[in-house]
Amino acid sequence: MPDDVHARAKDLIARQLVEGISASEREWLERHLGACRECAEVAETTEQAIRNLRSIPVALPPDLASRTQFRVYVRTQSMQPAGYHGWTLWVAFALCWMLGVASAPLVWRGFEWFGHFAGVPSLVLKLAFGLWWGVPAAIAAGIWTLEKRRIEEG
Amino acid sequence: MILRFSGVAEDRETVAAGLRRRDPELLDLLIEQYQYRLFRYLLYLTGSRETAEDLFQETWIRVLDRGRQYDGKAKFETWLFAIGRHLAIDLQRRKTPQSLDSPDEPDLIAQEPSAFEQFSAGEREAQVHQSLGRLKAVYREVLLLRFQEDLTLEEIASVLEAPVPTVKARLYRGLEALRKEFGEAGYAG
Repeated sequence: MPDDVHARAKDLIARQLVEGISASEREWLERHLGACRECAEVAETTEQAIRNLRSIPVALPPDLASRTQFRVYVRTQSMQPAGYHGWTLWVAFALCWMLGVASAPLVWRGFEWFGHFAGVPSLVLKLAFGLWWGVPAAIAAGIWTLEKRRIEEG
Repeated sequence: MILRFSGVAEDRETVAAGLRRRDPELLDLLIEQYQYRLFRYLLYLTGSRETAEDLFQETWIRVLDRGRQYDGKAKFETWLFAIGRHLAIDLQRRKTPQSLDSPDEPDLIAQEPSAFEQFSAGEREAQVHQSLGRLKAVYREVLLLRFQEDLTLEEIASVLEAPVPTVKARLYRGLEALRKEFGEAGYAG
C-alpha cells in the first residue's frame, strides 16, 4: 500500500478523537484498519492510551473540601466592610422616627407661625410640612438601598 | 434559588447570580461538586500534591473575589479551570521568572516523574502517571481537558485563552506523543 494511505489513516485516527470525522471517512478507516495490521496497531495503542488517561484515579487529600469551605467562609467574613452592621442602621432609623414623631407638633407650630407671618396659604403649608417629613425619609431609604446593593455586590 | 439536582448546582445564571451575592451556601456546594475535577486538573498541571492543594484553595478564594466576572454564558468549569490555570502560571513565573519570555507556552510543571509516582495508588497507575509526566505540559494539559474533562475544543480554547487552531495543533501533537509514550511503555490496560 502507498505511504500516503497509511498517513491518511493515521490522520483520521487522530482526527476522530479530536474533532470527529464524517461517516464516509469512518467507513474508509474501518476498511483500512481491517486490512492493515500496522495502522490497526496505531489505532489500538491510541485508544488504549486514551482509556488509560480516562481511567486513572486520583486520591483527594483528606478534608480538602471542608478546609477550603472554611477558608472561603473566613474570607467572606473579612470582606464585610468595616463598621457596617445592619442592626445599627435600623436602630438609627428607629431613633430618628421617634424623634420625628415627638417633635412633629413643635415643627407644625413653627410652620403655622411662618405661614401666618408670611401669608402663605394653608394648603401650601401642609404640602411643605409633608415634604419636610417625606423627603429626608426618601433620601435615607435611597441611600440605604444603594449601600445594601453595593455591599451585596462587593 | 439555586437549582439543585442531587446536591448539584445546575443553572449557570443562578450560579452567576449566587457568585455575585457571594452566597456561602452556593460556594460550599460548588466546592464539593468540583473538588475532584479541579484538584485532578491542578495536580496534573503542577505535578505536586501540595502545590495542587494550595492552588485549589487559592482558586476558590479567587472565585469568591471575582465571582462578579462570571456571567453564566460559559460553563462554570471552564471559568473555574481558567482561574486555576492562571494561578498555576503565576506561581510558576514567581519560581522561574524566565518563563515570562514564553507566555503562550509556559512550562507549567516540574517535569519529574517521581512527583507523579507519589500520588499513584498502584503499579499500573504509577506507569500511567510516569508516562504523562514525561509529556510536555502544554500537551498534557489539552489532553486532560479533552479526554478527562470532556471539554469541547472551544471550551479548551477558553480555558487556555488560545485560539481553537492552537488547541487542535496541541491536541494532535499531544496525542501522538501520548501514543508513543504509552506504546514504548508497552503496558496494556
